[in-house]
Amino acid sequence: MKRRSFIKKAGLATAGTFFAPYILPSGRLFAAAGDRIVNHVVLVLFAGGVRHQESVGQAYLTYQGANSGNIMPNMFSGAMPSSNLLYTPWNPIQGSSLATQGTFFKELEYAQGPTGHYNGHTAAITGNYTDVGTNLAINPDFPTVFEYYRRHNDPAKSAINAWWMSEGLGPYPALNYSKHGMYGPMYGANYFRPYSTFGNIGLDYLNNGLTLQPDDVGRLNSIKNFFDSNFDKSASDLPGIINNSTDKEAIHAFMKDVLNRTQNGTVDFPLPNGIPTYEMTGDLINIQYTWEVLKNFHPELTVINTFNLDTCHSDFTGYLRNMHKADYGVGWLWNKIQNDPVLQNDTIMICMPDHGRNDLPNNVYDANGLRAFDHTSDANSRRVFALIVGPPNKVNQNLSLGSAGNPVGQTIDIVPTIAHILGFYDQIPSGMLPGQVLTQAFI
Amino acid sequence: MKNIFLLVFFSTIIFSSCKKEVLKQNVYDNVYYEVTPVTLYTSNAEKNKQKSSLQYISILFSDLFNQNIPGSDLNNIGEAILSIGDKGLANQLILERFLTLPGISIPTQTQMQADLNAFITSTYQRFYLRNPTEYEKIYLKNLIQNDSNITPEIVYAAFALSNEYMFY
Repeated sequence: MKRRSFIKKAGLATAGTFFAPYILPSGRLFAAAGDRIVNHVVLVLFAGGVRHQESVGQAYLTYQGANSGNIMPNMFSGAMPSSNLLYTPWNPIQGSSLATQGTFFKELEYAQGPTGHYNGHTAAITGNYTDVGTNLAINPDFPTVFEYYRRHNDPAKSAINAWWMSEGLGPYPALNYSKHGMYGPMYGANYFRPYSTFGNIGLDYLNNGLTLQPDDVGRLNSIKNFFDSNFDKSASDLPGIINNSTDKEAIHAFMKDVLNRTQNGTVDFPLPNGIPTYEMTGDLINIQYTWEVLKNFHPELTVINTFNLDTCHSDFTGYLRNMHKADYGVGWLWNKIQNDPVLQNDTIMICMPDHGRNDLPNNVYDANGLRAFDHTSDANSRRVFALIVGPPNKVNQNLSLGSAGNPVGQTIDIVPTIAHILGFYDQIPSGMLPGQVLTQAFI
Repeated sequence: MKNIFLLVFFSTIIFSSCKKEVLKQNVYDNVYYEVTPVTLYTSNAEKNKQKSSLQYISILFSDLFNQNIPGSDLNNIGEAILSIGDKGLANQLILERFLTLPGISIPTQTQMQADLNAFITSTYQRFYLRNPTEYEKIYLKNLIQNDSNITPEIVYAAFALSNEYMFY
């Protein structure tokens, strides 16, 4: 009897040993494919440091001693300025503002860490605040949303499903994967900085290359495979992500096509009719090529940023102009998404700044005599907003949350919210993400 | 005493006059191109360090054009590489561009076919800085002989994209 009991207990213990590693923080035994709200997420980091006053507050020139008005009519509802126009108004491309097409977190908090651009981006992309210096071109310590997405989806997703597109270089190319030991480049996202990839440098050094027919590619690979079989090391330590061969060929073909169309001037521009292409900003270029990626690959997770608003350190007029243009770009992108047969009604777009800007101006005046603003971690520079827009049967429409002094949500909540939308939040190990899912946005 | 003195005297003269003069001489017995003397690896096992992206590009340019890459080009290419997440893909696109630029030092199809042994040996030396093994020579020769659509550009591209070329 005792022997039978021993065998039974030993059997259970052995079974437990096999099963224990698969008990997830959620209490589930296995990583079930989670329920998704939609299959595509686009996160627009409306970055460069946006003052709450001129964005959500629609203050326009109020803090310069003049009139108010909404210069972001695609994102927010409100009348545009009627006088003292320092920019050329572009008619909004959205019939009704994005705030009415989803849930508007009017007052979101950037709670910890310096209000630097790298810190703000890192907090938004990793879901963890960071104190790391702003000018270090290093991969973040905590896993990025791309790594969570690729590692914790079942079946696993290849990198062609995850994209990070940045307006500038500097430290930003390093945000497509972390240096976390459990994640890293094998779960990273594809990355472009379109201004370089598809701009003059791309046209000079990446375009018009030798075109190999599929048979020739086979010949090349056959010879290369022979060489590689005679060498015992692999170039797997190349910095950056490595696509599988199928995805690599697809991205290669995509790049050649887009470079050709750029050269021929046949890439869609996020500009209103009649506006010349010299009105393009770096932000709009990033949005323009993000759309090329979206329409070609229909990735499930895409993160892009704007950045030109940062001219506010010395040029308040330029800040207003760039904000107005970037707002148009976001509206244009959403319009494109809504007209794509794969993405329409199956995409949620989230817009959020990296951080805000100071309450008080610095000592710089621009050419129009307007005061400039920095972002040095004062309380005002921690005030941001978030828009979560999507299909009416999935996302609460025309809902506005939070107010001055009563923030709802933090910037670190975006990663868990994306994980929730794409159905892998419960698979992320506990303790990795301190933020919460912004459940208020979803039906 | 006198004899001993003479013996020492003549011994000094004889031995000092026979002192061997040693000249330091570098012998390059594995030289290629006859442009810049480069010592070749005796085997690919000696390569254990991976090239950085910029090292890869500058060496590739030198190997293809027999000259150093201009600094401005290297900076621009560095930016292009930085702007693409998949560095292998970036390298491939840049290589493809290099292969169409004027001034590239690459044999024609006819020249390749005229002396396959010489082509294979010189290409191994150019890209891998070593001589091919007999097995490598025979295998690659058969491959090229059996497929008339294999061009020097394809062979060069295969070398430049191979793992061994990423190391030094």
